[in-house]
Amino acid sequence: MAAFLRSKCPSVGRTLMGSLGNSLFGAANSSVEAVARPSHCDAISQQIRTFIQMRTNLKVVDNSGAKRVMCIQSLRGKKGARLGDTIIGSVKEAQPRGKVKKGDVVYGVVVRAAMKKGRSDGSEVQFDDNAIVLVNNKGELIGTRVFGPVPHELRKKKHLKILALAEHIV
Amino acid sequence: MRLEKCWFCSSTIYPGHGIQFVRNDAKIFRFCRSKCHKNFKMKRNPRKVKWTKAYRQLHGKDMTKDTTFEFERKRNRPERYDRNLTEQTLKAIPLITKIRHDRLEKHISNRQKPGKRKEMEKDSKELDQDIGMLPKKLISNELAAEKTKVKVKVVQQQTEDNAMEE
Repeated sequence: MAAFLRSKCPSVGRTLMGSLGNSLFGAANSSVEAVARPSHCDAISQQIRTFIQMRTNLKVVDNSGAKRVMCIQSLRGKKGARLGDTIIGSVKEAQPRGKVKKGDVVYGVVVRAAMKKGRSDGSEVQFDDNAIVLVNNKGELIGTRVFGPVPHELRKKKHLKILALAEHIV
Repeated sequence: MRLEKCWFCSSTIYPGHGIQFVRNDAKIFRFCRSKCHKNFKMKRNPRKVKWTKAYRQLHGKDMTKDTTFEFERKRNRPERYDRNLTEQTLKAIPLITKIRHDRLEKHISNRQKPGKRKEMEKDSKELDQDIGMLPKKLISNELAAEKTKVKVKVVQQQTEDNAMEE
């Protein structure tokens, strides 16, 4: 139904569509939009990725002890955080012996985002998942290692320590 | 600036086009347009998708071994700037592209030649054997046309002889 409406009125804004299809989707800022006819593709492969906002679950990719963090506030942007931004999160899952434990409120820097980020040469990058690295409120890393690829957008944001510890810079 | 190749269809990606997808094992997939990107997300194998270069080269539709491909090999070592070298390279690039294109066309037409000959043989065989399938009216018209053709030729020769005599 939502797809049919969308095809009929292309100029209507996304938030309006979201509110119209509220009963179907259940969230105002939906990050999953099904295609009119998914055919044999999963709904997952047709997802339109959006910002990192409140209640977004992120993977923690350092050895600070936390495993999953839920975003409670994005420190930049009205719509949410993107690649390279800092967020405040609540630790939802942690390793038993680590520097942080479950329920802690922590700061984190987004190092991988499933949403496309435009680069100055015109290209766009997107990663496979949403991942953060825990940081204290001054910006210093809590952990001592960073796993997985990391974008060089962090250099502009002055997160040079993360770049130094990274396995692979994209 | 570097011209990349699309992971799915192997076409060149010019600056400002396409999307790079970085997997968690740090492998980068570059796509020239959303068509290739969506096919990748559907987990399609480019070697099985008919319009990609990978399929065409695998199934012998496009040429695979050629010296012109050697010019495009990825070189990670930067060259010291030499104005003459740069000028010559820029002049050579369209020439190489043209040669590669011509060789590719020749490869394709060579590939299609035996098929054309087979078709002609089939057609001539059909004319010999199955001429009776055509309606009688059409056949008789054809034979009449042939006969008249022959007649006209003879008349022309006679007038020519007369002219020669006089």
